[in-house]
Amino acid sequence: MPSSARFVLGLAWRETRGAGRHFAYLVACIMLGVGALVAVGSFAAGLERTVGRSARALMGGDVEIRSAHPLSADAGAAVSELTREGARTLSVSELVAMSSAAGKSQIVELKAVGSGYPLYGNLVTDPATPEPLIGSGRALVHGSLLSRLGLKVGDRLTIGEGEFTVSGVILQEPDRAVGVFSLGPRVLIDAGDLKGTRLIRPGSRVRYRELIRLPRGSDAEAVKERLVARLNDPILRVTTYTHAQPGVRRFWRQLTVYLGLTGLVALMVGGIGVATSVRTFVRGKLETIAVLKCLGADWRQVLAAYLCQTVLLGLGGSLLGAALGSAVQWALTPVLSPMMPVPLEGGLSPRAILTGLTMGTGLTLLFALWPLLDVRRVPPALILRHDVEPRLPGRRPWLAAIPIVAGLTALAVWEAGSLKVGAIFIGGLAGALILLAAGARLVIEGARRLPRLRSLAWRQAVANLHRPGSHAGIVLVSLGLAVMLIVAVALLEQSLRAELAERGPGRAPAFFFIDIQPDQALAFRTLVAEKTGREPSLTPVVRSRLAAINGAPVSQDPRQRREEVWYLSREYVLTWAAEPPPENPVVAGRWWTAEEAQREPLISVEEEIAKNLGVTLGGTLAFDIQGVTVTARVANLRRVEWQTFNTNFFVIFSQGALDGAPTTWLATVRVPPADELAVQSAVTTAFPNVTAIPIREVLERIAGVLDQIALAIRLLAGVSIATGLIVTAGALSVSRHQRLYQSVILKALGATRGLVARVFAVEYALLGAAAGLGGTALAAALAAGVLHWALDVRWGGSPVTLAWGVAASTGLALAVGFLGTFRLLGRRPLAVLRSE
Amino acid sequence: MISVRGLGMRLESGGQPVHVLTDVSLDVPARQFVAIAGPSGSGKSTLLGLIAGLDRPTTGTIVVNGVDLTSLSEDGLARFRRDTVGYVFQSFHLIPTLTALENVAVPLELADESEAPDRARELLRDVGLAERAHHYPVQLSGGEQQRVAVARAVARRPTLLLADEPTGNLDSATGKQIIDLLVALNRNLGSTLVLVTHDPALAALADRVITLRDGRVAGDEQERDAV
Repeated sequence: MPSSARFVLGLAWRETRGAGRHFAYLVACIMLGVGALVAVGSFAAGLERTVGRSARALMGGDVEIRSAHPLSADAGAAVSELTREGARTLSVSELVAMSSAAGKSQIVELKAVGSGYPLYGNLVTDPATPEPLIGSGRALVHGSLLSRLGLKVGDRLTIGEGEFTVSGVILQEPDRAVGVFSLGPRVLIDAGDLKGTRLIRPGSRVRYRELIRLPRGSDAEAVKERLVARLNDPILRVTTYTHAQPGVRRFWRQLTVYLGLTGLVALMVGGIGVATSVRTFVRGKLETIAVLKCLGADWRQVLAAYLCQTVLLGLGGSLLGAALGSAVQWALTPVLSPMMPVPLEGGLSPRAILTGLTMGTGLTLLFALWPLLDVRRVPPALILRHDVEPRLPGRRPWLAAIPIVAGLTALAVWEAGSLKVGAIFIGGLAGALILLAAGARLVIEGARRLPRLRSLAWRQAVANLHRPGSHAGIVLVSLGLAVMLIVAVALLEQSLRAELAERGPGRAPAFFFIDIQPDQALAFRTLVAEKTGREPSLTPVVRSRLAAINGAPVSQDPRQRREEVWYLSREYVLTWAAEPPPENPVVAGRWWTAEEAQREPLISVEEEIAKNLGVTLGGTLAFDIQGVTVTARVANLRRVEWQTFNTNFFVIFSQGALDGAPTTWLATVRVPPADELAVQSAVTTAFPNVTAIPIREVLERIAGVLDQIALAIRLLAGVSIATGLIVTAGALSVSRHQRLYQSVILKALGATRGLVARVFAVEYALLGAAAGLGGTALAAALAAGVLHWALDVRWGGSPVTLAWGVAASTGLALAVGFLGTFRLLGRRPLAVLRSE
Repeated sequence: MISVRGLGMRLESGGQPVHVLTDVSLDVPARQFVAIAGPSGSGKSTLLGLIAGLDRPTTGTIVVNGVDLTSLSEDGLARFRRDTVGYVFQSFHLIPTLTALENVAVPLELADESEAPDRARELLRDVGLAERAHHYPVQLSGGEQQRVAVARAVARRPTLLLADEPTGNLDSATGKQIIDLLVALNRNLGSTLVLVTHDPALAALADRVITLRDGRVAGDEQERDAV
C-alpha cells in the first residue's frame, strides 16, 4: 500500500475516536430512508416476479383475444385453425349482473366459462373437489356474496332470469383481474348456463375473451402477430401472456414509483442531517486539520480520510436500512397476499437491496462532500487564532455543486424510472429547500432584529435562535420539508375525499340502471315513478366502434402502443338528443335544428376526443354498429365535466340518425337512502336482466381504496417525519455540551430549573412552529398545484389540517427538544463546572 | 453571616469513596475578607461551592444570612444564588455564545431588572472593558474574561462574594489587577468576600486565613490571634 493511502486510512480510523455520537446519528439519518426504499422496492420486485412467473395463469392462456362482441365468423375460423394445430381454446364471457335471493339483490361480476377452465393455474374452491362445481345450474360464488345475501352453500340464487344452486365458494381465481376495485363479488358459472339468464341481449355490455393455450414450444408472439394480421380488426385486442393484465401492472408500477419517491424524500431529509452532522464534525476538527496541515499533510489526504470515513458510515447505515426494509417487506407480504389472485412472492430482492445500498451510500457521499470541501480552506495558521465561529478564507467551491446536483438528479431519475418525473422531483425538492432556507434566514434575521422582549425566557429563547452555534436553519429546513410532505399528502387526500363526498349520496343519483331493453323502457319508467314518486331520467344507448375518420378507415396497427390508440380501438357508447345536454357547453359550431337533423346524420363531439381523433367542424366520423356503418358530420364540439355523475357521452347523434340501431336504455334514479333496497328489489324482480349499479356503494368502495393507498403513502411520509425528527434530535445533540454548559452557568447565577426549561421549551416551540408554518405553506402550494394540474380536482383542504400541521410540528419539536435537554436540567452546577 | 457546622462531603472516585471534606466548622462575620488556603486537593473549592449552594453536602449544615442551605430545594438554592451570591470561577465560565455585555446582563435579567443592558454596560466600564462589550469570550484574553466574570459576579451587589482561585489562570500582573478589583468591590459594596487561593502572598491580603488540609480545618489565623 502506498504510504499516502496508508496515511489516509490510518487517519480515517484514528479520527473515529470520540465521534460515536456523530456516527450513530449519521447512520440513523440514512437508515430509515433506505429502509423505506428497500421495502417498497422489494414489494415491487415481488409483485413483478409473481406476475412474471404466473403470467400465463394471470391471463388464463398464452394468447387472448378480447372483444365487446362475440367472435366473428372470421375470427372463429382463425381460432379453429389454431385448435387443429394442437392448441386448446376456451371462451369466457364477463359481465355485471344482478343476483337475488330471498328478497335481497346484489350486483355481481358474472363470469361464464367453457369446459376446461382454467387453462393455466388452479381454481381453488371450498369444497375442494377434482370435479367441476359448475354446469347444470350450479354457481360458484365469492364468500362475500353469501354474507351479503344471507346465503349458504346449497341455497338457491337467481341471476338474471336463471336459477342456480350455490355449489361452493371461490377461494382463489387465477385470472381474476387484480383490479383496484370491483363492482361486486364474483360468480362463476358454466357457459352453457349463461343463455338461461337471458342477460345477453342486443346492446348488453359483455366482455368476450377467447383464451388460447398453445402447444409446448410455440411462440406466442408469432401467433399473436399472425392473428392481428389476419383479423385486422381494431376492436379486437390480441395480447400474449407477457402483457398479462397491463392495467394492473401499470397501476402497481405507478403506485410503487410514487411510494418510492416518497421514500426518497425521507432519504433526502436524512441527507440534510448527514450534511449538518459532517459540517459540525469538520467544525470540531478545524484545529486537528490545521495541525495536520502544519505538519505537512495535503488537503486532499485529509479530505480523502474524512470522505472515506463518512462513506463507510453511509454504507453501514444503508446496510441497516436494507435489513430493516427487507424485514418490513417480509412482514407485509402475508398481509398483502390475499389481495392478489395468486400468492404474492416475498423473499429478499437483491436488486432492491443493491439499489437501496447505492442510493444510501451515494446520497451520503453527495451530501457530505459539500461540508467536507471546507477542509481545503482551513489555514494552518488557524491554530494561532481563536474565534467564535472561525471564518475560513477563500470562496466556497461553487463549481463542486454541479456534480453534487447532477448526482442527486441521477439518483432521483433512477428511482423514478423516468427522466421527467425524476427532474420534476428534484426541481420541486430544490425549490422547496431554497424556499425553506430563505424562510429560515428570515426567521433568524427576524429574531436578531426583534425589539427587547419583556419575558426573560422568551428573550433568551429568541436570542438562542440567532446566537453563534444556533441550529435554527437546519431544523427549519429538515423538519419543514418533512412537514410539507405529510401535510401535502393529507391535503390531497382531503380534497379527493371532499370531491367524492360532494358527488356522493347528496348530489349523485342513487343508482344507474343499465341494459334496459327498448320494450322495457316504458314499464321501467312507470314502475320507478310509482316506487319513488319521481320520473327517472332515461337515456338511449347504442354500442358501436369507430370505423372511419374523415373517410379513412381505422385499423389496428400492432406496433402502436395501446395508450396511444385507445381512442381508436375503444368501444363508443352513442346516444342521440334533440337538445344539447345541460352542463355541456357547445364550444365550437352550434347545436342542430330539427330541419338540419332531418337532412343528414349530425354529431356533437367532445372537444378533447375530437382533438385526439383529428376531426374538426365539418369533418366526418363513421361508426360500425353491429355490422352497419353510420357516417355523420361533426356539427359542433362540446366541453364535458367528466367528474360529474351525469351521463356523459363522447359522441351525441342528431335525433333520428340512429333509428333502427340496437338500443338499450340507461336510467339514473334518485331515491332517498332508506328506499334504495326496496327500489332495487322491485326493479330486479320485474326486470331480471337490468343491472343496478349502486352509486353510493361504489363511491364508498372508491373511498375504501383511497384509504388503503393513503395509508401506504402516509406511512412513508411518516418515515420522512421520523427522519426529520432524527435530524432535529441530532442538531440538538450536537449542541448538547454547549447547552449543558449554558444551563449550568445560568443555574450557578441563580436561574431556576423551571426558567432554564422554559428557555429551551420556548426555543423549540418557536422552531417547530416556524418549521410547521413554512412546511404547511409549501404543502398548500404543492397540493394546490397537484390538484389543479395533475388531478383536476378542486381544493378541498381544510384550514384545520393546516393548523394541525403547525401544531403537530410544534409539539414534536417541543417533545424532541425536551427529551434532549430535560436530563441536563437536573445536573448540579459544581460537578459540571469543575470538570470544565 | 456564614455559619458552617460539621460539614462533610464524600464523593465517589473510581468506585471508591473519597472524603473531600470532614467535619468542617467555621463562622464568618459580615464584611469580612477571608482567604481559604491549602494545597491542591485539600477541599477548598468544594467548600466554597457548598457555601455558594452549587452542591449539597453529605453531612452538616451551612447557614448563610440566617438561611439553612441544606433545607432549600434546588429552586430555592437557585434563588439564593441569584439574590445573595456573586461567584468568580478560576476558569471564568462565561457563556461562550453570549457577548461580554450579554454575559454581565444575565444575573440582572434573571432578577428581572429592567435596566439590565445599561447597568451591564456601566459594570463593564467599571472593569475597564467598555470597548469590548460586543466581543465573545473567545475573542477576549484571560484577564479580560476574568474581568467580565467579576463584573457579572458583582452585578447584583451581592452580600456574599465568592472567588475560587480567580487568578489561577492569569499571569501575576493581571492577577494583581483582579485581586485589587475584588478587594475594592468588597470595600465599596460592604459585602463579605471569601477567596480560595494557594498563593500565600494573596492570602496575606485577607483579614483572616483559614487553612484546609485533607478536608479538615488545619489552621485559622484569626482564631490563632485570638488565642
